[in-house]
Amino acid sequence: MVNTTTYAPELIRDKAAGDNAFYKRGIITGLFSGIFYGLYSSFCTLGMNSGIWAKWSAGAAGLSAFALVYLIGALGNGLNDSFSALWALANTIKNGKIKDFGRCVASKPGRLIIIGAILGGPVANTAFIIGMAAAGSIVAPLSALCPAIGAILSRILYNQKLERHTISGILICLAASLIIGIPGALTADPSSHFGLGLACGIVAALGWGIEGCVCGWGTSLVDSEISITIRQCTCGILEMLVIVPVFAIMSGGHGVGRLVVTGALTDPSVIFFIISGGIAFLSFMWWYKGNAMCGTALGMALNGTYSFLSPVFCWLIVGVIGGVAGYSLPFYDWIAAAIMALGIFVIASDPKSWSKKNKEAI
Amino acid sequence: MLPLNYAMLKYYTHVDEASVDDVISALKDKYGNFKAFSKDKMTEAVMTAEKNGLLEETRYEYDKNHKVRIYYHANDDGTRIINSYIKQDI
Repeated sequence: MVNTTTYAPELIRDKAAGDNAFYKRGIITGLFSGIFYGLYSSFCTLGMNSGIWAKWSAGAAGLSAFALVYLIGALGNGLNDSFSALWALANTIKNGKIKDFGRCVASKPGRLIIIGAILGGPVANTAFIIGMAAAGSIVAPLSALCPAIGAILSRILYNQKLERHTISGILICLAASLIIGIPGALTADPSSHFGLGLACGIVAALGWGIEGCVCGWGTSLVDSEISITIRQCTCGILEMLVIVPVFAIMSGGHGVGRLVVTGALTDPSVIFFIISGGIAFLSFMWWYKGNAMCGTALGMALNGTYSFLSPVFCWLIVGVIGGVAGYSLPFYDWIAAAIMALGIFVIASDPKSWSKKNKEAI
Repeated sequence: MLPLNYAMLKYYTHVDEASVDDVISALKDKYGNFKAFSKDKMTEAVMTAEKNGLLEETRYEYDKNHKVRIYYHANDDGTRIINSYIKQDI
């Protein structure tokens, strides 16, 4: 802590202005990660409802119910993350960081990012797909636990502050996410695999929480453009070379895998995955950077606005522009958005600084 | 050769305190041709490291252009963490 007793008031004021500018940049970065998360997921959803994907859902190619849920779900994620990795690599080359990328991958912080990416990417995404298929949409609000998990882990692992207003704000954001997710969950038809589905939902929330905490902190060591390139390459490679082939074998063999991968890559709907991949690259990069600049609790709450923004962009892009039915936005989502904004404000604002300002004003 | 961010952090484990200008002077010969070798980007990296407990502010003053110049150092904890994650030296 700097002893400021001998400093001129003007110097203290200018220093505080610089600190505030950095903090605000962090908040804007985190907020844009949430906006772009909503955008990327809506383009991904649009892709999975267009062209050959719509034909597969309608029964063309004779894909089994298992293949339609697991293989197609994993392929959508895999294509998005693979295109995202290509965007990230292109950006790294453009900014002259490709050699640093190679050096970072081979280092301990690079391995930390890879582990976080595996847990938050293939592991959490696959668990989420299995969870949704096994227990229905009750799994979706469980994912709202990830900011809380990330904040608690950051307190334990990296000694980040977890003050009363931060915890209150996280709880308010959690309530908002539950308002969005619970109504769908109540109308879901619980299957005999309900317990497995819930367990998978918790695994997904843990994976995303751990990734946000570990990779956000890791971005204080590794440049954010490099850390996101490591993340997207790890996810794209594992999803396309491990998860998709495993689900293909379980769906009937390599032939099914080849059929859907070549079908998806040669269909015009691939353009939606190229777009979603580019947006996902920016969203995840700003998520890591926002977490590093603001701390995990605030960074993840800002990114967590996706739980409202994803349905909004899906309604606009898939429903209104794409003309696909079933994406209208219920009124309670708007109420939840207002509550979420309040939660973020509570996390971001330290009541101690208000009382300090009041004293200064007196 | 270390990545630029690693070199910046590692530099702090060798000095009592340094501003971003000091880091720039120290690393200019080796990293001066890097696109990311700019004061704005390096300041952001140092402030992010400070936010995450790797570095600590020691003092600040005005530079000759009347801009605030902040000095940082890696305390014992910061030095231990940096050295445990980045083994290779500058």
